[in-house]
Amino acid sequence: MRTASKFVLASVLAIGVPSGVVLAADDAAASAELKKSGCMTCHSVSAKKDGPSFKAVAEKYKGAADGADKIRANITTSKEHNHHLKTKDDAQVKNVVDYILSR
Amino acid sequence: MKDWSRLKLGIVVALVAAAATLVAVAGGAAGVVLTGTEQFCTSACHSMSIPAAEFKGTIHDTNRTGVRATCADCHIPHHSVVAMLMTKTQAGIKDVYGEITGVIDTKEKYEKQRYQMAVSVWAVMKQTDSRECRHCHTAAKMDPEKQSEGARKKHEALKTGGATCIDCHFGIAHSEPDGPGPQELKIAK
Repeated sequence: MRTASKFVLASVLAIGVPSGVVLAADDAAASAELKKSGCMTCHSVSAKKDGPSFKAVAEKYKGAADGADKIRANITTSKEHNHHLKTKDDAQVKNVVDYILSR
Repeated sequence: MKDWSRLKLGIVVALVAAAATLVAVAGGAAGVVLTGTEQFCTSACHSMSIPAAEFKGTIHDTNRTGVRATCADCHIPHHSVVAMLMTKTQAGIKDVYGEITGVIDTKEKYEKQRYQMAVSVWAVMKQTDSRECRHCHTAAKMDPEKQSEGARKKHEALKTGGATCIDCHFGIAHSEPDGPGPQELKIAK
């Protein structure tokens, strides 16, 4: 392999691998928060339970500009969906919203 | 004199046969009981170490009161001795064959089969209206005051046959597989 290509490959790996690890860790953090908040009592990742699966929710809001906002509202302030995340930390809430949308 | 000897022989043979029968029946009963223990299920077959590890820490494993439901409680019928023995025999043969041929002997193979295994159990539960759940959980004896409002409302569906336990309470003892759940299965009743 030429030196330049090796360098490019190394850079890609140096950025990509840790990013992948961080993203995977965010999934685990989101799962943990959802479990802690009791969401998994009514929701499953891919199966219909009491409420829609996260896959179904992601499908519904795919491509919608306000999808993330709608989900966020549901799990933090909504009176209709009166079940909210235990965490009040913005970053953690965003992480959960991203997790749901990416199922 | 010859008659007494024959009679004595007959009595001895009968006693020996009775004793042998007793031993066989007692041994058989002991075998049925022992092969229904959590200890047996999780150690006799190495592939069962995977669901055993998942089960640890779940509500049926450890909870406030320490009352547990283990492998046979959910997977073997209790409503009839015949059904129990037939299930143990059929499943036992199938599972021993599967273990010998290594169908799920690695984590990767297990994960590949997870959904199909879950569906086969869900199908039985749906067909029997979650009979094994109801062996311990009696809906009519659920104290509504000890349940959350949401749970109370949802359990109303049990009275009308609108839902069965497994429709919502899946992925409790074992990790949930990826894919449609019991509510989305088309089960021929």
